[in-house]
Amino acid sequence: MAPPWLGILDDTIQACVTHNRQDLAQPLWERRARLLEPTLRILVLGESGQGKSQLINALVNAPVCAVGDDETTRVPAIVEYADTPNAAMIADNPDARGAIEGGAESGRRLPVPIESVTNRANHDAATPGSDVVHARIGLPRGLLRAGLVLVDTPPASTQRLSSVLSEVLCADAVLMATDATSDLSANERELLERVTRICPTVLVALTKIDIVPGWQDVAERTRARLAEDGLPATVVPVSATLRMAAARGGDRVLNAESGFEELVRRLRHDWLERSDELNQRSVAALSEVTVTRLINGLREEHARTQRGGTGDAVTRWHAAGREIEQLQRVSARGQTLLADAVADLTSDLEFDLRDRTRRILREVDEYFEEADPSRTWPEFEEWLEDQLTEVAETNFGWLFERFDWIAHQLARQIAPHRPDLVPDVAAGDPPLEHANGLRRPNVEKFSVGQKLFVGMRGSYSGLLMFGLATTVAGMPLINPISLGAGVAFGLKSVFEERGSRLKRRQTVAKTAAHRHVDDFYLACNKESRDTARRLQRMLRDRYTEYAEQRRAEITASAKELKKAVDIETAEKNRRTKEISTALESLGTLRQRVRNLNDQVWASIVPAPRELTA
Amino acid sequence: MNTSVTATLTRVLLDRAIELYRDNPRAMAMLRRQRARFDEPLRLAVIGPSRSGKSTVVRALSASGRSLRDITPVDTTAVEPDAAPREIRARCADADAVLCLLRRPRDTELDLARAVHEHPVAQATPINTVAVLSRADELGGGRADAVISARQIARRARREPELRALCQDVVAVAGQAANAGRTLNATEFGALRTLASEPTDRLEAHLLSVQRFTSTQVSLPVDAGTRERLLDRLGLFGVRLAVTLVRQGNDTQPTLAAQLAQRSGLAELRETIDVLFVTRAEILKARAAMLALDVLLRMEPRTGSDALLIELDRAVAGAHEFQELRLAASLLADPGLLPDGLREEAIRLIGEHGTEPEKRLGLHAPSGTQVQQALRDALRRWRLVAHSPELGSAAHSAALVVLRSIETIATGGAPAMPAYVR
Repeated sequence: MAPPWLGILDDTIQACVTHNRQDLAQPLWERRARLLEPTLRILVLGESGQGKSQLINALVNAPVCAVGDDETTRVPAIVEYADTPNAAMIADNPDARGAIEGGAESGRRLPVPIESVTNRANHDAATPGSDVVHARIGLPRGLLRAGLVLVDTPPASTQRLSSVLSEVLCADAVLMATDATSDLSANERELLERVTRICPTVLVALTKIDIVPGWQDVAERTRARLAEDGLPATVVPVSATLRMAAARGGDRVLNAESGFEELVRRLRHDWLERSDELNQRSVAALSEVTVTRLINGLREEHARTQRGGTGDAVTRWHAAGREIEQLQRVSARGQTLLADAVADLTSDLEFDLRDRTRRILREVDEYFEEADPSRTWPEFEEWLEDQLTEVAETNFGWLFERFDWIAHQLARQIAPHRPDLVPDVAAGDPPLEHANGLRRPNVEKFSVGQKLFVGMRGSYSGLLMFGLATTVAGMPLINPISLGAGVAFGLKSVFEERGSRLKRRQTVAKTAAHRHVDDFYLACNKESRDTARRLQRMLRDRYTEYAEQRRAEITASAKELKKAVDIETAEKNRRTKEISTALESLGTLRQRVRNLNDQVWASIVPAPRELTA
Repeated sequence: MNTSVTATLTRVLLDRAIELYRDNPRAMAMLRRQRARFDEPLRLAVIGPSRSGKSTVVRALSASGRSLRDITPVDTTAVEPDAAPREIRARCADADAVLCLLRRPRDTELDLARAVHEHPVAQATPINTVAVLSRADELGGGRADAVISARQIARRARREPELRALCQDVVAVAGQAANAGRTLNATEFGALRTLASEPTDRLEAHLLSVQRFTSTQVSLPVDAGTRERLLDRLGLFGVRLAVTLVRQGNDTQPTLAAQLAQRSGLAELRETIDVLFVTRAEILKARAAMLALDVLLRMEPRTGSDALLIELDRAVAGAHEFQELRLAASLLADPGLLPDGLREEAIRLIGEHGTEPEKRLGLHAPSGTQVQQALRDALRRWRLVAHSPELGSAAHSAALVVLRSIETIATGGAPAMPAYVR
């Protein structure tokens, strides 16, 4: 029957896969493979110069791991059981996964004499371009036969912390070496704490007790420190030197003194014989860490989705709404502007036309004070036509100019990015054909007969007047005096008649001119108003059409956006729901893990072995 | 020892600063102290984390003859490696040179040395620090050859550029044994002799561990109390070493003491201090004074302090002694800087083996003509190097420094004073 921890481990792996966290699942897979193996893999950790390699040598009673006073170990060395002593360097295969995990099949095996294997491996690893990843050593020892595999590691410095931790993942238990010449350093405590979190089976070997006079105090202080930090590691003081000496001389007492008897006993009884508990413990710890990380990841995502509520689409959707409003406002303002401008323009144009025609009329009046229409009419007519044509042209030119300006103004207001919308009014219509032509006024002729008749009529009264007067003086009615007076009177009345006729002609001509100009004004004004209105309508239509078009565009895109927003919201809601469900199931899993953990501790705590040791 | 230009220049600058800060009692006290220090022994700060053997090293140095006249070791309280750099600097502020004690040449412990050099003037001249692997016996697991092994570690560490940038040398010393050598009393010496007369294999068994050595149940000709005292004085390494030395025939106290000093690395440490610090005491004091002056001028500016600061900068940049030391550092860090033969000669000429003219020229008890001849040869050779088209610009500037060193020897160690000093 599969042990209960296997179920939990599988569930945790399943959870990792479900949440797409291959990075978290990978170490669990490795751990799973490791746990199912019958051997117990012990990683020997520690800072540089703490006696890690020496500790292994002393444990297996053979100088298989190179030792030195400086940093010696550069590549891990795996010491395991074999019927006959053998050793090999394992070189990296491109597809091999981790540095020290996996069996012999994960790399190229280079057999090396057992005495020099670690020396060569360390030396090779120090040369650049080398691909030696670890050394493997097989020894026929009882302790190893029981299923123990010892792994010697390079010094665990702060820079290597992450790789050390990944190596810990592939181990069932950790043996940490720290020498008795100094207390636990801050770095060592941190290392121990991080290691304990993923592999709770830790034993601290206090090495080199042979050269430290007060090692008992150091051991006590170390134990107190660990207890203070809440680290459940046992401290075993050992001396590899004594153990080696004891092995050489076969001295049992010395062996006991070296502390290795106790260490081996603990390895056998606490670890090898209780491997199921160990597995349970390490699964509990690892699952706890993994599940917590999963939960934290999901919580973070949850918080992120909650916080980042307004996505890009929503912002753009709001922006589209605002744009439509803006467009409406602008286009209303544009229409008002247009109406106002056109009203101003018409009034200005009317005034201008009136002003110009009046100036012409004044000139006409002045002209006909002197000139005789019967003689000068043709030239006058030509002049007047010229004047009026000029007025019409100027007036219309002004109209188009002003419209052009209005159109640009509007374009700036409504569609600043569309200069092509501005109509080309300047090349406007030709000036109109105004009025019905100037009619020549009816001018009566002062003929010779009429002159004679008027002269006769005048001379008659003169002749009679002076003839009667001279009769009193005794002269006949017709006498030279009366005849002279008659001639004089006759001439005078002819002149008078001519003057009055001229006056009459001038008046008639003036009236005719006035009427003509009036007609012109009327027609031109009408034409100008019509043109203005036509242009206004054109502009209005054009910009209204543009606004309509824009609105349609924006509305369409807003609709799209709205759809996207809806989808996004639905997606988010779905994800939120998903996350809560996942969190719930992970919570259950964590509870199971904790139960397992509690079980383990319950089985351990009642028998504090330190006291019995 | 003749007075160096830089030292004279520093005194002048200090006098000017004293003029300038006449109304500031705190600054005055500081400046006067710096001024007075020129006539006092070199102050050597010993720093290190707790239990790194500071007091032991200080005691060992104090008890060791001639250094005492020229050096005042300053024992400091423990500095944790993670202490704030300010604090570490504050502890070294009053010292001209620093011994930085390390258990191992490791990163975390190097932070201490790093913190000492955070001031700009200090960075320009990392010349006053020596790293000491102060528990060499523990590094070697307490074996009788532990110090030899530790020396190898020190030699390797010395070659690492990172460490080179922080200190001038790395020395291994087993402080406890070194200290004890001088101060053994007759009873203890007698006990050692008695122990040495025991058969080797019998004694070996008892020297396996401290517990065995001090155990009351074993039958050794020396009683357990004395053994414990011996262990306390010498350490297990010391006892092993001393017994071996006595067996080898060093059976009088003075010879044993001398051998212990030799074997524990104390002699080497003393030699290093002599070459690096004592012979350069003036320049180190000048350096300390310049550092203090720089801080003062920057922290409390006033009219005239700017001009003085500029002169100080010029003095720091122009001090030929600093340039020599910097060149020495870069020669050691980058062996390819100069071709092999030239490199050795350059190191000698810039005074790494001793600053006396004959040591710089590599002559033993030379006559005047020999010195003249050697000077002429060196000048000619290095002028060629300085313009050699085969070498890079870094080598050229190195050659210029060497040339100036040769000129300094030729003029009797006193190149012309800069004009602005007069």
